[in-house]
Amino acid sequence: MIALNSVIKKFGTITAVDNITCRIEKGEYFALLGPNGAGKTTVVRMLLDFIKPTSGSILIDGIPVSNPEARKRVGYLAEHHMIPSHLSGHEYLRRHASLIGLAGKDALMEVDRLLEEVSMKGREKEKSAAYSKGMKQRIGLAATLLGKPKLLILDEPVTGLDPIGIRDVRKILESLRDNGVTVFLNSHLLSEVEKTCHTLAMMNNGKILVKDSIRSIIDADETLEDVFIKYIQKGK
Amino acid sequence: MNNFLKITGYTIRDQMRHKSFYVLLGLSILFVLMIRGCYSGQYAVNGKQLNNITVAWHVSKIVFQVIASGMSLIVILLSMKIFSRDHEDGSLVLFLSRPLFRRQYILGRIAGTWFLCLAFMFILHATIFLTVWVKTGAAIPGYLTASLVCSINLLFIAVSVSFLSLYLPDFISAVFTVGILFVGYISDGGHQILNSEILKTAVSSAAASPPALWRILYPKVYMVQAYADSIIGQSSFNNMGPLHPILNVSFFIILITTLMLFVFNKKEI
Repeated sequence: MIALNSVIKKFGTITAVDNITCRIEKGEYFALLGPNGAGKTTVVRMLLDFIKPTSGSILIDGIPVSNPEARKRVGYLAEHHMIPSHLSGHEYLRRHASLIGLAGKDALMEVDRLLEEVSMKGREKEKSAAYSKGMKQRIGLAATLLGKPKLLILDEPVTGLDPIGIRDVRKILESLRDNGVTVFLNSHLLSEVEKTCHTLAMMNNGKILVKDSIRSIIDADETLEDVFIKYIQKGK
Repeated sequence: MNNFLKITGYTIRDQMRHKSFYVLLGLSILFVLMIRGCYSGQYAVNGKQLNNITVAWHVSKIVFQVIASGMSLIVILLSMKIFSRDHEDGSLVLFLSRPLFRRQYILGRIAGTWFLCLAFMFILHATIFLTVWVKTGAAIPGYLTASLVCSINLLFIAVSVSFLSLYLPDFISAVFTVGILFVGYISDGGHQILNSEILKTAVSSAAASPPALWRILYPKVYMVQAYADSIIGQSSFNNMGPLHPILNVSFFIILITTLMLFVFNKKEI
């Protein structure tokens, strides 16, 4: 589903991503972990073609990310999700729906279904300026799920959410598991990663230190936090 | 529907939701209402009563230029924040995380802003046209065509400000564009005055020298307005250099748009 081949990204003299090669299969729930400044967000931005790699190639479903076709069935949720303040949650979702080709009754039904799913029904007509951080994140999640995406790229999806919101997100992600959706999760919340994902990669200083299934990385007497600290310290 | 058209539509709706748009709209309506009175008065020069139609025609020509110049400022204000606002409020991520080309986003944003200003200017010009018609019973030929001719200037300004705002702070890019227009107005306006029949008659020795190359190549925003004026006045148009000002401005629009697409395609979001 996602293939990063020898990807290097430099910002001036700083190498943010240092020759990473990684493959994420269809239906995989994958987490990218690493300390601040490890290069995780740079990878996410390259996946969406927000920034171009200095060298190497990135493919989604065999299509280079520079081709908008690669984003046809991709849902993206940013860490601090922003919604133009003059738009209501409903208008925002209608706009997203239109851009992915949903129109008319289909779009309205899909928007209503997702508003229900993210518990924002009843507040959708309010201007987003009146929304809390968590509410914006919920609307953002609904936008991400529009059009039944095949790949979800989630950059710290539970930031700003209360415990109920966090549980809701986890439930939604679990419900997608049977539909063959691939999830690329960039998160600091190790407990959430442990509950949600199958595989993970740990990044530090732009390099992938390890990529494997969570079960094979964590020993019986360890937690993900122990493993994370061990790898990051070893990586230094 | 094509993504370009969708973004054009969103842009028109987004721009119309900003308070500044309604302030500008209110000021424009106020201006047109004030002008209305000019068509009702009785004017006399040296005790001789002037023909109402002649007065209306001259006033309308001046108002035409005032509206066209005012719209240049409005389009600067509306264009200068297109990209920075989108960046700040998440619209950029909204659009570019979806399957569309960056060029569709850029062209849609510019086209939306341009279309809105074009319609705005056309409505103001049409209001003057109709006012003259109602008050004097005479229609000014070419008035609305001239308005459409002037709209090419609005596109040039929208493209220039947007392009500069990719490099410079919004306000500086606006001031820079005003500077480009100002130099053109002084340079080309001076040329028009030197070549005017009145000056040639008054000073028989006033033979204008041929313009320097940079003045021929410079964006001819003022000359487009002068050309529009000649359409209203059905007078001859004194062109500067071999290239018609519409072609000159069109060339700059294409050049700057191409540069903007190239730069934005490489821009990091």
